[in-house]
Amino acid sequence: MKTNSAEPLVHIQNFRMDFGDETIVRDLSFDINRGETFGFLGSNGSGKTTTIRALLGIYQPTGGTLHINGRVFQPEDGGTLGYLPEERGLYKKESVIDVMTYFGRLKGLSKHDASVWSLDYLERVGLEGKSKLRVDKLSSGQQQKVQLGVTIMNCPELLILDEPTKGFDPVNRRLLMDIIEEQKQAGATVLMVTHQMDEVERLCDRVILLKNGHAEAYGTIADVQDQYGGTVVRLKYEGDIPRSALYEVTLQDNNYAELTLADKVDEAVILRALVEAGVLVRSFVTSRLSLDDIFVKVYGDQGELEVRD
Amino acid sequence: MARHNLSTVVSFEVTRTLTKRRFWITSMIGPVLLAVIIALVVSSNTATSNRVDSQKNARFTFVYSDASGFVNPTVANAMGGSKAADPAKAIADVKAGRSGAYFEYPSNPAKQTTKVYGADNGIFENGKYSALATELLVASARAKIGNLATLAQGNFPVVATTYKAGQESGGIADVIPPLMFLVIFYLVLVVLGNQMLTSLLEEKENRVTEMILTTLDPTTLVIGKVISLFIIGLVQMVVFAVPVLVGYVFFRTPLGLPLLDLSGLLAHPGSMVIGALLLAGGLILFTATLVAAGAIMPTAKEAGQVFAVLMTTIFVPFYVVSVVVSDPGSFIVQVFTYFPYTAPVTAMLRNGFGSLSVLQSTIVIVELFGLGIVVLRLAVRLFRYGSIEYSKKVSLKAAFGKRE
Repeated sequence: MKTNSAEPLVHIQNFRMDFGDETIVRDLSFDINRGETFGFLGSNGSGKTTTIRALLGIYQPTGGTLHINGRVFQPEDGGTLGYLPEERGLYKKESVIDVMTYFGRLKGLSKHDASVWSLDYLERVGLEGKSKLRVDKLSSGQQQKVQLGVTIMNCPELLILDEPTKGFDPVNRRLLMDIIEEQKQAGATVLMVTHQMDEVERLCDRVILLKNGHAEAYGTIADVQDQYGGTVVRLKYEGDIPRSALYEVTLQDNNYAELTLADKVDEAVILRALVEAGVLVRSFVTSRLSLDDIFVKVYGDQGELEVRD
Repeated sequence: MARHNLSTVVSFEVTRTLTKRRFWITSMIGPVLLAVIIALVVSSNTATSNRVDSQKNARFTFVYSDASGFVNPTVANAMGGSKAADPAKAIADVKAGRSGAYFEYPSNPAKQTTKVYGADNGIFENGKYSALATELLVASARAKIGNLATLAQGNFPVVATTYKAGQESGGIADVIPPLMFLVIFYLVLVVLGNQMLTSLLEEKENRVTEMILTTLDPTTLVIGKVISLFIIGLVQMVVFAVPVLVGYVFFRTPLGLPLLDLSGLLAHPGSMVIGALLLAGGLILFTATLVAAGAIMPTAKEAGQVFAVLMTTIFVPFYVVSVVVSDPGSFIVQVFTYFPYTAPVTAMLRNGFGSLSVLQSTIVIVELFGLGIVVLRLAVRLFRYGSIEYSKKVSLKAAFGKRE
């Protein structure tokens, strides 16, 4: 695959996806730069998996451009891709080592290299001695580890992880995060779909929030926080907080309040306004909305959508 | 890369099947049963033959009376018999154990019953009296009429020479070689049909479709699977064929099998080429259809319904086989000849019996190859865009809906 480090690794422009009369994604555009970790966020049914499948040529888009490395993805580019799909699965009746070697060979590794890498990986993730077992004899978490190994065994240039921590316990979740971090250090570009906002804040450089098939927010985490009111003031006080266009009182209880500031309003202006209104301010702490808060704010009205993602 | 992946798929599919204990157990059930049956038949035939021989060759003295005059005294003597002076005494001697047996031939043995008296030696041994009485009369008749006996039994060679378009034709010897393609067609579909159907279901049921589609062109996967199936089928056929060949070569006589003289068969290049092309086209169409069905259905159980329907189409032409042979121009035979899923069997039958013209065979071959390739492409597309619907039947509308 030809590489041009100046252009983004992933380029999606005006992507639209219809299934019959139903539009799943509309006019979606974003780029993923080389080496960055990109969070692809959205509620169930917002079109994340559909976008990934279209990007990887599994679905043909109704409209728009979806490029990896400047061209439409082809299966022969699979050697540079690591894809952990939302729908997990392996050949269950085959041995772990046979399955891993098979996928390694499909990704361009020699049989020997694929086998050696697989055995090393299995040892690392605590599955030494399980290589000859049939996949269906492993627990669900162990199968997840094998699948992750299959995903990264070719040292991919682009790593696409669709809900990677789904089904992992906290210990294995940490192991997974370490492995992703390693891949990132090795130069991989990571596209990650997750509902775990703490993971996003820890790992991702930029994010996109998808809602009803279009981008609700896009940029660095700070950009997104800015876009959603950005700053919250946590206040301990005495007196009455006046109504104001400068802020919205989102929580008020027993001399404690949280004020979400209107766009581009400076915290000092708020403090001055409160003092001038006769409020005795005992504590005034500013912080930004967490991604978790933003997620709830954006998708809170949707409930749990159980439609095609 | 595509070739590398094709060999990887073939290697993976063949190796994992041939290393499975279940495969060998399933494959060996038939041959083992056959071997057991051969052993039983051989031992049973040998025992029966020995018993008949021992009964025939049993040497014991007997007396006989002959109202017909057909019994030859010389022959009777050679067999240990002598004429009875008094039938009543002869029976009394047998009862008393003084004589081995007494045969009483009536005046017309062809219509009247020949009575046999002998000492009881058990239900099996007692058969020797009737056997010897019959043998004596047959041998006497042969001695009297010579070759007429053989002619009366129809045991004489006849050679027929027939002509077609001024050329000597081989009759049944012409028919058999091209019909071998029909046998191969049935064998392949019976042995491999179900595996063809489920070949792509595995990716779907195991939820590996997405991982496969991002590393492998679906056409390569489908072709790799089909090649693997044929290799595995070949192994299975060898496993089936070995005991049959061993049985034939080493136990032909005890099994009572005829000697196969293949030198009399006439393989005309034209009909053999047409037969081979009909076989190849038919296999492509049926393989593609089964693979496509597997791509649509969510589980092997549901796909099995399609399999049953498809298998019916290859047996339906046999319901009208007499019409196919005797009246190939009839409407029903024409329909079966050109309807794609009955065409391979009907056309191969007609090709064997010499009633398929070059033009007709060309049309059928083109139809089978053309439709086969179309269905194969359809199967690939259904797998590519449909198999992602892991747990439900693929909607053709969705797979072929509005896409750019």
